[in-house]
Parts: sequence; structure tokens; C-alpha cells
Amino acid sequence: MPDDKTIHLKIKRQDQPDGKSYWEEFELPRKPRANVISCLMDIQMHPITREGKEVTPVVWECNCLEEVCGACTMVINGKVRQACTALVDALPQPIVLEPMSKFPLVRDLHVDRSRMFENLKKVKAWIHIDGTYDIGEGPVIPEKQRAKAYLLSECMTCGCCLEACPQFAKDNDFMGASTFSQVRLFNMHPTGAMEQEERLDAIMGEGGIADCGNAQVCVEVCPKKIPLTESIAEIGRETTLQLLKNLFLK
Amino acid sequence: MRKRKPQYIVIGGGLAGLAATMKLCEDKAKVTLVSYQPVKRSHSVCAQGGINAAIDTKGEGDSPESHFYDTVKGGDFLAHQPLVRDMCYQAPAIIHLMDRLGVAFNRTPEGHLEFRRFGGTLYSRTAFAGSTTGQQLLYALDEQVRRYESEGQVKKLEWHEYLSAVLDSEGICRGAVLHDLRSGEIFTVKGDAVVLATGGPAQVYGKTTGSTVCNGAATTSAYLQGAKYANGEFIQVHPTAIPGQDKLRLMSESARGEGGRIWVSRKQNDNRDPLNIPEEERYYFLEENHPRFGNLVPRDVASREIHDIVYNQKLGIGGQPMVYLDLTHHSEGFLEHRLGGILDIYTKFTGDDPKKVPMKIFPAVHYSMGGIWTDYEDDGNGLIDHKSPRNQMTSIPGLYAAGECDYQFHGANRLGANSLLSCIYTGLMMGPGLIQYSRNLTSHVEEVSSTVFDQARDQWRGRMQAFKQMNGRENPYILHQELGEIMLANVLIVRENSRLAKALTQIDDLEIRFKDLQCPDTTHWSNPAPSMIQQLHCQIQLAKIITKGALIRNEFRGAHYKPEFDLNQPEDFDPHEYVEYNEKRQYGEIREDEFPPGHTSYMKRYEECNEKWLKTTIAEYQNNQPEISFEEVNTSLVQPRPRKYD
Amino acid sequence: MSSISKGQVHFFLLKMHSLTGLIPIGLFLTFHLLINSLRTVGVLPYQWSIDLINNLPFLIWIEVLFIYIPLLFHSFMGFYITKVAKTNALRYRYPRNWMYVLQRLTGAIVFVFLVYHLGTTVAPKLWFGHHLFEAAPFLIDVMNQEFATWTGRIIYLIGILSATFHFANGLWGFCMSWGIIIGPRAQRNASIVFILFGGALTVLGLATVLEFSLHPVDVEPSFKGAP
Repeated sequence: MPDDKTIHLKIKRQDQPDGKSYWEEFELPRKPRANVISCLMDIQMHPITREGKEVTPVVWECNCLEEVCGACTMVINGKVRQACTALVDALPQPIVLEPMSKFPLVRDLHVDRSRMFENLKKVKAWIHIDGTYDIGEGPVIPEKQRAKAYLLSECMTCGCCLEACPQFAKDNDFMGASTFSQVRLFNMHPTGAMEQEERLDAIMGEGGIADCGNAQVCVEVCPKKIPLTESIAEIGRETTLQLLKNLFLK
Repeated sequence: MRKRKPQYIVIGGGLAGLAATMKLCEDKAKVTLVSYQPVKRSHSVCAQGGINAAIDTKGEGDSPESHFYDTVKGGDFLAHQPLVRDMCYQAPAIIHLMDRLGVAFNRTPEGHLEFRRFGGTLYSRTAFAGSTTGQQLLYALDEQVRRYESEGQVKKLEWHEYLSAVLDSEGICRGAVLHDLRSGEIFTVKGDAVVLATGGPAQVYGKTTGSTVCNGAATTSAYLQGAKYANGEFIQVHPTAIPGQDKLRLMSESARGEGGRIWVSRKQNDNRDPLNIPEEERYYFLEENHPRFGNLVPRDVASREIHDIVYNQKLGIGGQPMVYLDLTHHSEGFLEHRLGGILDIYTKFTGDDPKKVPMKIFPAVHYSMGGIWTDYEDDGNGLIDHKSPRNQMTSIPGLYAAGECDYQFHGANRLGANSLLSCIYTGLMMGPGLIQYSRNLTSHVEEVSSTVFDQARDQWRGRMQAFKQMNGRENPYILHQELGEIMLANVLIVRENSRLAKALTQIDDLEIRFKDLQCPDTTHWSNPAPSMIQQLHCQIQLAKIITKGALIRNEFRGAHYKPEFDLNQPEDFDPHEYVEYNEKRQYGEIREDEFPPGHTSYMKRYEECNEKWLKTTIAEYQNNQPEISFEEVNTSLVQPRPRKYD
Repeated sequence: MSSISKGQVHFFLLKMHSLTGLIPIGLFLTFHLLINSLRTVGVLPYQWSIDLINNLPFLIWIEVLFIYIPLLFHSFMGFYITKVAKTNALRYRYPRNWMYVLQRLTGAIVFVFLVYHLGTTVAPKLWFGHHLFEAAPFLIDVMNQEFATWTGRIIYLIGILSATFHFANGLWGFCMSWGIIIGPRAQRNASIVFILFGGALTVLGLATVLEFSLHPVDVEPSFKGAP
């Protein structure tokens, strides 16, 4: 409703990780090109609810505001996405903001996604180099392969794929699409491939690739359009071969 | 006896901080890495264009020496030359290293690195990874640091804020005071040295192309502890950014390169749909004022013109600070093919399709050439002695700085694709010097009395508690917004002394109002308000540094444009004349007729100006004000000369 | 050889769950529906096929080893997987997400159906000793009775539809999980193939149901008094 003069926000809040959640509603003057972030900034400047109650400003996480850092991920009108690209004019009102539900809550809309970074450690998501000293050029890589890798390396660890995954939950240890896709990325690189077996072993266990239930919501909600299900299938193939190798060739 | 492992504290997990951490870990050091957020989300991800290195893969005759010359010339000769030269000579090795780390750099058909051209040079020397080079470089370093973290060499303190350095009785930095942003706990960590890699001060200007964490608080804190701040007034403005309520996002220069036209309505406060404004009522001001270059005038010129249209002629769209960047005269197919990805960004953040309606754009604060003062040691051959502990050290012993938060590499104006280079370069280059610094220490941090740390901690506990208990009438977020407005209105593209002086008093007023703040959140868990107030306090100080530096520097150099002091370069002037002029000068006074009319007097003006102003601005904190002084710039390698981009 | 970790066992069991769905269970389902559809050709070929199967040597071992154990294993693992799932198809309404929910739902339905199906066919057959050539008249009689009522028809319709969907969709999942199809185009093409395959199985099943419902025919044992 572009003629509307106000924005109506409904925000799920919680003061402590073990506290109780509650809802607060805010009404803000509509500004051109407003997004959810600018609304939250407005609340910081005027932290007063619709009912006129003075409250603490809403706490959330953000940084780049250009959809490349992944920080401002939250559940907006029921779907997980980045708040910076959530344009108010494109959203039905009231705009409902909730924290991601699959990660431990810190406060209000701010959650702790450390689990994703821990998973990157488990799968050795890096290229093990000899050292930083100048030993000349890197490996020659065909542009086509590079372009494929680039798609995967745009993953900003935002957690959308995990929030929307029916298999991923707070009380299990499923690693999820983003991690599997990173395994594929590093296994694709000529130097990274040298640690392929260690990476595959790390995801051939509890919470690993076999737990994927193929609901394919990950690929639908990925803001970077990363071919996550392709990665899952590719890793499925690599782990299958690894299993056969482990069973019959060792 | 077991050999003591050196230990460092690195503040900031962007390119510079991660590069330094990686390099130090390689030398078996232990590193505590402190960041507001997971380091993978640092502001470096925003860099799109690329990273420069003169590898000359296309037989153009490029060389690190040319790269060096372009960089110092681009910076109007305000950068220390041995440092810039060393950076340019290290650049090819840095690109190869990043390539080995797995960065998805675009490739040639044969599978080697692809390079493209960028502003301020004639060579293809910019390596790039799609349109997110900064993100790709950051991720590669983040991965290396994660490896060291999993091996126990790095301890990450994410969701922590740096408050200040811990200085012992001799003024040597022995550690840092940190603030756990979740528990609110304030504590100290010990280290042989502290590295600030905390990025730029964008938030001083409110809405910019910077990220929300680019608040400049860490460097300002160092300044408040006695460190020198240098060249603060040199702030780069990018002419075309997409205005937003929360931030300003870059619109690539390629939109103008592909024929984008910049215009406004000739009528003030015109609220009509741009498509309904007839051709004769449109004012294509760049084309009218610059018939030869048209819309493709250099960045600084374009920024100044847009600023003039909006603020002096009040012709911004609907009275707002915006002008049209119009591509709608091209077919949609053409635009999709040539500019697809870039135009998608515009659609994503505005909801408008630039293929159908003109884009609305405005210049935005983009980068700070200035920063905390740091030292270096040259090797006598025009390069840097990499083992010297002086490299990248601030004026506080043991406190180092790297990346955008230092000041040394871009002079008065930064060239595109040089910032990523300077960040990684400083991070890597400082490593051996830091190790050497630890070795040279006569007393180790373990021997420093614990009261030094306790006092620093208690002082900050008191300070932060006091911020939390502020119960006045002002909202800190509103005050921050007003600070940005003051800076944007007075200390931006076109600088006039009267307005700069006015801005200084306005900042002083703001500082008085700061005392009347109300902390909007007094809870104990994950409460960002006290930190925000502390950052605002720093930003007010930093605004003073920038504004006072700009007020005192009475010249036009690089990004610092004061029309009053423009030397009015003759249109037919050739910069080589100045080299000739200098040679002749060694043999006595030069007659007016030895050069075309007006040129000799221009060159005399230029020479006088350099004698007076080709100096680093130094701000030091005294009596709650920045005390400004000047230092010589090392121009030992290339003679400064007038800039001209034909 | 290094010792096997709990995680590796977990991985192996899940892989086996995926594999047993195809071999032997999926294969059995295909043959079962195919052979039963002989009923549409005529009651005699159908009876002979039952005779053939019921007179296989070591039948009980074959059934236990290749049907009941894999089926129980597949069901047990299936319930474990379903228990872990937190379905969200109402929130994220994408076709594949519905399939994910349906796969779990149909699995459970098929399990319940099989308890009923085996309880009405195999259990009495074993209990009353309707062995060898007597099995066919008994089984055909059971089916005639089932398909005489709408309740029976609906139970079998649901059972067959669930089974064919579960198998066809599971085949697609198997191909993903084992890395047989990878790219988006391969995934799309494979899903078309499996939809056709599942459709064909469903047609076989439905045709059989229809034939039983429309033309119930009683039969005598093929060889009276055979040992």
C-alpha cells in the first residue's frame, strides 16, 4: 500500500537466552526506500511501542547491509532472509520479525551461529599451503571450473539453508547444505583435493551427508543462489565412492 | 628452558587483521584475534572491483615501478614513497599467494590469472574474482586463520570490543582492554604487542558506503591515549552511490562508462515522475559543463558537480540530495548484456528496474586515506626493511596498525583496487617486524605488574558503567545521526573555511549535548547501548580531527578540495613541463617566457604550495582538542609534479 | 584395520536404508505389482503365478532374508529418520518440501498397510497351513472379500498409492544420495522418469484392484490333494 503513511512492525523479542519471548509492535512513519534495517534503526532512535510504551531498542545483528556479509539474517514474515534486502514496500503488513529458530538465541533477533563455523573446522574448509612465502604462481585452473567454484565460494555462512532445512535442528548435529557445499568447493581445488579423504571422512558420520532428507528447501532460500542440491549430490557421489573404497580397496 | 612463544593481540578480522594473524602464526606465535562479530562478516567483503598487481601478463610493459608511480601520483604525492614502492613490488607475490589460497580469481582461456583495467592507470593490472573480490580474498584468509584456530594457535574473541591499549609505566603497550559484548564483562588480555586492524571511520559520516562496524572507535581510542592521527581530512567520496535509509551502496562507474547520463530537472523541488519530464526541462549538467568528457569526467569532478547542483542550486530530485543516472535510452537487451549484474544490485535494494526508470544516485563517503600514524624503516634502496620492528608501529611503542586504519599508502586520494592490496600488504609485511619487536623487548609482559592491567580494567569498568547510567534527555542514535549530518553538510566534497569553522562549533555543541545523553538500555545481557555511546564519544573526537585538519589545510590536494585555493592549472599545461622547470631552476631564476603564457607562474604557485602543504597532517590529543602539526613526506624517489588526467 | 566409529556405523546404516529401499524392497514391489496384474489377463495365469512363487524351494528363507528383514530394517530406520525431521512445508511451500513430507507420511502409511496386508494374507496362510497349491484359492478368496467392500477397496488404494509414491520418490532420493544424478537438469529429467515409472506401477496396481472389484472369481486348487 504505497499510499500508507506508516509501517507496522511486529517483533518477537527475548531478553535472555533462557528467558521468555514476547511480542512488541511498533508503528513508524513510512520513508521512501525503507528496508527492515532502516526500520530497526528508526526504533533505536524512537524506542516506543505502538501502545506508547518506552522500551529498549531492538537488538539485532548487521554489518555490510549489502547482502555479502550474512549478518542480518532473520525470519521476516515467516521466511528466513537478510533484513537488508527486505524492502518495506514489497512486504505485506504487519511486517513480522522473528529470530532464526534453529540457532541458540542471544537476544531479540540476534542468534549465535557458531555451529556453522565449527562445522567448517570439522571439514577442514581450507587449502593447506606450504607457507606464505613467494613460491610462484598457483595452479592453472580452467575458467569454467573457476566459475563453478566462485558460485560456491559466495556462501556467506548466513544460515538461511539451515534455518529452512527440516532436517536441521537445535538438538541434532546435522551439518547442513552450506557445510557440504564447502566440502565440494575445497575438494574441487587442485591443492584442496589433496585433503579430500579427510574432508569426506568428516561428513561420513552422524550429522553428515547421509542425514540429508532431500527436502531441497536449502536451494530455494539461498540468497546467493548457490547450487546447494547439486553440491549435496556431488558430495553424495564422492562419499559413496569413498565408502566403496573404504570397504573394498583398503 | 622452553623457548618463549611470542604472543599478540590482533584487533579486527578484516583483510589486514587476518593477513597479520596468518603471518604471525606461521612464525609460531600465539594470536588472540578480537572482533565485533564473526570475522568472516568483516567490512572487507564489500569491496567489489579487484586488487592491483603489475604482473604484466598482456605484454603492455607494466611494471611494479609504473604501479608505484601511478599510486603516488594518484595520491597527489602525499604518501611516503619507499612504502608505496615496496607495496607495489610485493603485489605480484601477494596475488600469487592469494591464488594459492584458493581465491576464485577470474581466469584467461589458458587458465592463468585474468587482469582488467581500472581507474588512474593505463595498464591491465587489476585481478578480480567476479564482482565480490573483497569477499573472496577475505574468505581465503579467514580459512587459513580457521586452520590455525583449529590447531590452537589462534584464539578468537568474537563478539568482543576493543576499548583501549594497556600501557605500562613507560608508556609501552602491553595488552588490551576488551569488552565482551554479550556478558558485558570488561577484562584485559596480555600480549607482546597489539595490532589495530580496525578499518575506516565511515560511521563518523553516518550513512556512507561503509559497514556498521566501521566506526573508527579503536583508532580514536589510541589517539586519546596519545597516539598520533595522520591526514584525517583526506576522505574519498565516490560520485555514484544508491541512496538508502540505512546505508549508501555503490553503483559502479561502469554505468556511466556504458553511456549513463546524469541529469536533474531544471525546476526546483520537481516531484514529477522522471519519465514525464520533457527533454527540454532536463538539465544534463555534466554534459553541458564538460562538453568534452561529458558524463565521464573523473570521480572527484563528478562528485563536486553533483554536490553543487544539490546544495548550491537546490536542484536535487524533489528537493532531495539525489540526481538521476539514466540508462533508459538503451534497449533492455543491451543493458542486460553489458551491465546485468550491476543493475540487479540496484533493483535488489530499491525495487526499481534501472532498465525502465532512471536510477537515483548521490555521492557517498567511501574511504579514508588518513588514519592512525604509523612508522616504517626503509632499506636505503627505496624499499622497506622487512625485519624492522618500526614498520607499522604507531607512536605508542608496541601498538601497531594495519589496513585502512593506518594512513601511509594512498596519500591524498586512493586509486581503485589499491585498498585491498594495502590491507593484505600491511598485514603480511608487519609480521617479521612484530616478531623482531618481541625479541628486542627487554622485559616481557609477564614481568609487568598486574596492577597495570587491573587499573586499566577498573578504569574502563567505571567508564562503561557511567555511560550505562547516563540518564539525560538525548538519544545517542539521534545524536550520531546529527553528527553525520554535520559532517556531510560541511566536511565533504567542497570545503570552505567558513563552513568548516561552523562545523567545528557544531561538533562542540554536540559534545556538550553528549553529556546529556540517556542510555536507552540498562540491561546486563547483550546490551549494545553503552558500547554505542562509547563509540559515539570517539566519533565526536574523530570528527574534530577530520574537520580541524581540513580547516587548517589551505590548499587543493587530491580529495581535499578547497575552491578558494585552487591553483588554476592552465588548460594546455603538460606535467612534464614541471620536470623541465625544476631542472632549469637549478641554474637560476626562470623567465616567464621560457614556458607558454601563464605556465611559469602556475608552476611557481605549485612549488610554493608544495613547500607549505606537501606534508602529513598530524593530530595529537591535547586539552580535549586535536593539536595539529605537520611532518615531512618522503618524496625521495619521484619528484612531485602537478596531476593531470587527460 | 582401524576400529569403526559410531559415526561410521550411522553413515553405513543410513546408506543401507537407502539401498534396501531399492534392493530388494523396491524390486519386490515392482514384481509383486507386475505379477498381481496378471489377474487382469485372467484368473488362471494369476493362480499359476501364485503357485509358482509358493512352491519355490527354501521359500521361507527367501522371504525372511530378502523381504522381511530388509523391510523391518528399512521401516525401523525410516521411523528413526522421520522422528528427527522437523517438517516445515506449510512455511516453506516448495514442491520438493511437500515430497519430503509425503515421503515420510507414505512410509508410515505403507508400514501400517503392510501390517494389515500381511496379517490378512501371510499370517493365516502360515497359521492354517495353506501351503503349496492350496495357497492360491485361499489368497484369491481373501482378495475377493477385500474388494467386495468399499472399505477394503479404499484401504488397498491408499496402500498401493502410498507404496508406489514412496518407491518412485525414494528412487529419486536414492539417486541423489548415491550421487547418480547431480546437476539440476539431471535432477529434473530423473524426476520425470521416476514420475512415469511410479505412474506405471500405480496403473498396474489400480488395474488389479479394478479387476478384483468388478470380476470376483473363486478358484479351486490347481492340483487337488497334491502333497
